Amino acid sequence: MDRRSFCALGVASLTAAMLAGCSTASSGSAGADGPGTGTVKMVAWPGPEGDAMAKVVKAYNGGQGKQDGITVDLVLLSRQDTFSKESALMASKSDNQDIYWTASYNVGQYAPSLDALDGTDTSNYFPVAVDGLKYKGKLYGLPLDVSNHFLLYRKDLIDALLADSAAKADYEQISKTVLGTARAPKDPQSWDLDDFKAMSAYFSKSANPKSPTQYGTILQAKNLLYNTMIWNDVLWGYGGNWQVDGKAGLDSDAGKKAVQLYADIYKNKWTTPDSSQAEFPETQAALQSGNVAFAIQWSAAFASLNDPKQSPAVAGKIAIAPVPGGKTHVHALSVSLNKYSKNKAAAKKWLGYLATPAAMTEYAQSGGIPAMPEVLAAQKAINPAYAQVSSSIAKNGYSEPVFPKTFEAYSKLAEDLSGAWVGQTPVNDAVKTANTDLQALLDG
Amino acid sequence: MTKGRPELAAANKKRPKRKNTAAAALLSLPLLAFALIFVAYPLVSGILTAFQAKTLLDPSAAFNGIDNFTALFKGPGFAKSAGFTVTYSAIVVTLEMILGFGLALLVNRKFPGKKAFFTMLLLPIMVAPALLGVMFRLLLNGDIGAVPALLHGMGMSVSLFAPDSVIPLLVVLDVLQWTPFTFLIIYAGLQSFPEELLEATAIDGAGYFRSLWSVVLPVLKPVLFAAFFLRAIDALRTFDVIYVLTAGGPGTSTTTLSIYIYKAAFESGDFGKAAAASLLVLVVLLPFVPFIVKRIASTGLEGKK
Repeated sequence: MDRRSFCALGVASLTAAMLAGCSTASSGSAGADGPGTGTVKMVAWPGPEGDAMAKVVKAYNGGQGKQDGITVDLVLLSRQDTFSKESALMASKSDNQDIYWTASYNVGQYAPSLDALDGTDTSNYFPVAVDGLKYKGKLYGLPLDVSNHFLLYRKDLIDALLADSAAKADYEQISKTVLGTARAPKDPQSWDLDDFKAMSAYFSKSANPKSPTQYGTILQAKNLLYNTMIWNDVLWGYGGNWQVDGKAGLDSDAGKKAVQLYADIYKNKWTTPDSSQAEFPETQAALQSGNVAFAIQWSAAFASLNDPKQSPAVAGKIAIAPVPGGKTHVHALSVSLNKYSKNKAAAKKWLGYLATPAAMTEYAQSGGIPAMPEVLAAQKAINPAYAQVSSSIAKNGYSEPVFPKTFEAYSKLAEDLSGAWVGQTPVNDAVKTANTDLQALLDG
Repeated sequence: MTKGRPELAAANKKRPKRKNTAAAALLSLPLLAFALIFVAYPLVSGILTAFQAKTLLDPSAAFNGIDNFTALFKGPGFAKSAGFTVTYSAIVVTLEMILGFGLALLVNRKFPGKKAFFTMLLLPIMVAPALLGVMFRLLLNGDIGAVPALLHGMGMSVSLFAPDSVIPLLVVLDVLQWTPFTFLIIYAGLQSFPEELLEATAIDGAGYFRSLWSVVLPVLKPVLFAAFFLRAIDALRTFDVIYVLTAGGPGTSTTTLSIYIYKAAFESGDFGKAAAASLLVLVVLLPFVPFIVKRIASTGLEGKK
């Protein structure tokens, strides 16, 4: 290498190092209260929640915001990558956003980059939603949208079954084959997980050529952390839990049964083979097309399934029941204060406004599902599911343990179990691996 | 005027050289700035992060030696994703090179509707990979997708996303999207192919395939290497389509290195480990670059004149 090249390389390296140094200095400094007025920058994700929030922001900016001297600037990122982008901002200690979009399943992981919301009045919220956003006793997120699961089913098909004695006899025969003992068909309001399994077979052409649907159900079995939340309903429904006395509890009878249920349904073709890549949109498509009779699905799904414009084939035919087994995952989407924000005082004023029933009423009227039981009760004319959400959360709701690596745990369990869900990996092996990985995450 | 004054003659000779060097430096500044900001800085920053305990839970970024690297080999995830990535890349690149070369030969003649055909052929590479993933997710959906409906209408009941068919599906989608890319590069090479060589082989009585093997391929070698290199680098970085369609599952059966690194960073929140994985991949691939570049830089006509 000649002298000139060496000098050029040296200059380049030095400049790069200086740039690296400059970058660290320009971000990462502690946040500040700021003037208490001005622009508050906020992130949300698109979809029903983000769209509803956009309307609340617009109303605030045109009303209360003028009195407060605050303008909220809402940025909608992509649904899949909002948390990734926020992670990158948090890792670089950025002050680019004042308020982050968070959730009860990642608030533990994000807590080092957030300020606790001390002094917030949480009395209007579902207690389980508030508890799910606390980490080490402090509240790090203001509950916004509450999510849980239901069994969404074709009421017309179930009613037809219950009214037809010949069909009932067929069902009893199939249930005997599937479960080992015959069962009479029941109203979905009181299904347990064995009913779920038997009905999956009855409504599948592979087990019942007379079935009105191609498949009984669709399993959300894609390697996705949100699908772990759905599967957890089955785990909890069998009496299982992630942890027992601080130790990982997946390698239990309940854990194995929960995985085996998915594997049995998949291998017997009581769900579409495409279930291995299915999540929320695929489940919606399966229900909307009329190819399946029922599915465990997110509460936000109901409105579009009963809308004639969006679901012409099944609108008016879909009903809601509790998740078979009587347990539903509950999490809250939330908004949190960036520790490195330079305008915390203004951001806190905006958050204080969001915590009011008035703001959440606007949110509900704009399509969101706020985590306030009284608001849901008052707005049930807008969405019949609201009343069910309230009672379901109160009666059947559970939250997974909140620890620093909760978010990673959902992802790891999906990775370890999704192969077994679709019969690609032996159940016992998958459960053992998942248990070991979960224990490592619990240990920190 | 400089007669008998050699030092002045030397000085006059140096002045134009200095002006050229200064002009070259000035014109290179924008590229240099771009390289420093978008290449050198991220590279240095990434290398530093690879040796730091930098996570969302502990953003202190303390130096932790080679802990991030050893963590990569504690479980089977990294090695498995590397194995899948290499195998997947080898298959798709081979198919794309063969099909791209065949298409280039086919299109390298006059025929009616050539322009329209050419345009249609290039459409897939104009679509962003993530968008293509979303499009295929809809098109191939068993309940509402056009492709399963068409197959069903033909009496075939196929589940394209079933675990046994998902990897072949991903290969097909990659070939569909990127064969036009290799085709374009090879076709450009054929356009500048010296015709007199083919005329000479024809005069010597060589047939089509003999000419192809003995003349066209050797001369096109730099172009083929360029297409192979660009496509291989991209295939090894595959993320978008696979992440949208399978998220690396079922289990980890379709997890590529990029998906592994993404999950390490944004789901586990472990930026140090993600940076270490990225650095390791860079170090492993770097030795191949001079070899490939040498092949690309050759004229292909050595020994043919």
